[in-house]
Amino acid sequence: MSLVAKLLPPANVLLDLQVSSKKRLFEQVGLLFENNHGIGRSLVFDSLFARERLGSTGLGQGVAIPHGRIKGLKDALGAFVRLAQPVPFDAPDAKPVNLLFVLLVPEQATEKHLQILSELAQMFSDRALRDALATAADAEALHQRIVAWQPDAAGQRQAVA
Amino acid sequence: MKVIILGAGQVGATVAESLVSEQNDITVVDVEPARLRALQDRFDLRTVTGSASHPAVLEEAGIDDADLLIAVTQSDETNLVACKLAARMFNVPRRVARIRANAFLDNKLVLGPDGFDVDLSICPEQVLTEYIVKLVEFPEALQVLDFADGKVSLVAVRAYQGGPMVGRPVKEIRAHIPNIDTRIVAIFRRDGAVMPDGDTIIEAGDEVFCLAAADNIRQVMHELRRMDQPVKRVMIAGGGNIGLRLARALEGQYSVRLIEHNKRRCEFLSARLNQALVLNGDATDEELLEQENIGEMDLFVAVTNDDENNIMSSLLAKRMGARRVVALINRRSYVDLLQSGQIDIAISPAQATIGKLLAHVRRGDVVAVHSLRRGAAEALEAVVHGDRESCRVTGRSVEEIELPAGATIGAVVRNGKVLMAHHDTRIEAEDHVIVFVTDKKTMPRVEKLFQVGARFL
Repeated sequence: MSLVAKLLPPANVLLDLQVSSKKRLFEQVGLLFENNHGIGRSLVFDSLFARERLGSTGLGQGVAIPHGRIKGLKDALGAFVRLAQPVPFDAPDAKPVNLLFVLLVPEQATEKHLQILSELAQMFSDRALRDALATAADAEALHQRIVAWQPDAAGQRQAVA
Repeated sequence: MKVIILGAGQVGATVAESLVSEQNDITVVDVEPARLRALQDRFDLRTVTGSASHPAVLEEAGIDDADLLIAVTQSDETNLVACKLAARMFNVPRRVARIRANAFLDNKLVLGPDGFDVDLSICPEQVLTEYIVKLVEFPEALQVLDFADGKVSLVAVRAYQGGPMVGRPVKEIRAHIPNIDTRIVAIFRRDGAVMPDGDTIIEAGDEVFCLAAADNIRQVMHELRRMDQPVKRVMIAGGGNIGLRLARALEGQYSVRLIEHNKRRCEFLSARLNQALVLNGDATDEELLEQENIGEMDLFVAVTNDDENNIMSSLLAKRMGARRVVALINRRSYVDLLQSGQIDIAISPAQATIGKLLAHVRRGDVVAVHSLRRGAAEALEAVVHGDRESCRVTGRSVEEIELPAGATIGAVVRNGKVLMAHHDTRIEAEDHVIVFVTDKKTMPRVEKLFQVGARFL
């Protein structure tokens, strides 16, 4: 099981969210973490925005991995959001973004958290997976795809595809 | 970035102009349709007519999607309320307001954590006062700017015949002042930028920008021109907000005369000043200037709210023998016409003020931005994060960093210590780096360099 799979509960997948901007998106993500995990929405919102200010978390190809540190958080938590319409994200290829994996980590981030980020980057560099995520019919199917993905195992990845 | 600017006055318009060229999504709100039309004719931006502190107007301006609110209407109260609404009703992540009144500026209940949710307040009158006070302290400089909490200064000086470095190549400055580390970051010659390298010869008339630790600035300037007598006597024309602040800031150390035409304002002024002499009269009145020994003034500063008045009175003062004259001029075309002619220094209030604002709009961890040469050039202080992998600056020597043409890394502040940047200076995480850019258009590329990659945690 990948590191990413462990931190994404099925309830943290939002499909075809209607937002008009990065700001609205972070508000909705804050709401999700507040409802599902009891983390204050403004804490999430501020943390994501603060990180974005140092440089965009856009990876290109319509994907971004916004992340932030949260005081008092014990274990890393993830959420996946697919947007109905892409929003500007200041990504390196200047393309707007519609697939996002949001990652919250404890204030004292460790090597493991860096690994998660690099796993995410690797995951989203997989074009077949990106296409599958963009077209998955429902949240459950999408969650399955992410959980089934294996890092550095091209054979398996193809088998799933 | 989506930015909403409230108020299309001098500051609002200058900020809008400066941001539009950087591919942001800008909406300007003002009660006066004519002012908005003028802006819209010149720039690609959206405008909304209405009261800037009304929720419906803010909504129409798209505040739901805004990353930044800049409240710079004429009214402090409107600006404060707009920030409060933006934070509480619309969750706008960053809010900047222009606040003039000291009663607000000094009050923790207004600007503190439980106040009006203003992240940054700017007071143009205060910024201008500091600007002019620097010119009094350094009579040789055209402009003095601080970075890293005042540890590093950037100074613009005109090179004059007789300065030890004039006619000499830049690299010799180390031999001239061996104990002082300085960098000449740019030279402007007949309105064009010259990118200085070690062999560039400094010519008389050049406008030279030098970076040095704040304590060393005087010696550096001394290499470029003969030093003036220190300032003793200052005459200020105009007893408005700026005139009063300036007189208060200077009266302890200098002999200050303040000219104001309104008699009642004069009474108000004298009640608030201890040593400065308040004179009732017109600053363009030759007789008054003569009577008050204008010929013995080291500095004449015209800060009335009228451009023409400031221009005429400072021209007159110069002709009557004032050593150096400074005029506040709002209109951009006038500033360009007059700078370095008869008027020694023409200050554009909007240009001088927007630096602090610009720092908030930049991408990356930018602490300070100063707009120079009437907005054409910029100097920026950014904090470096990450490592060699996640940032294209960190862990690299200055010569390895791929700066766009016209950009120079001038200095680095590390743990409070100032290091002048040389080709082999290595940049580390948490350094404050000061970059000078001769052409503002390359600034987005500089900002990109300092940003961390997506995988930085």
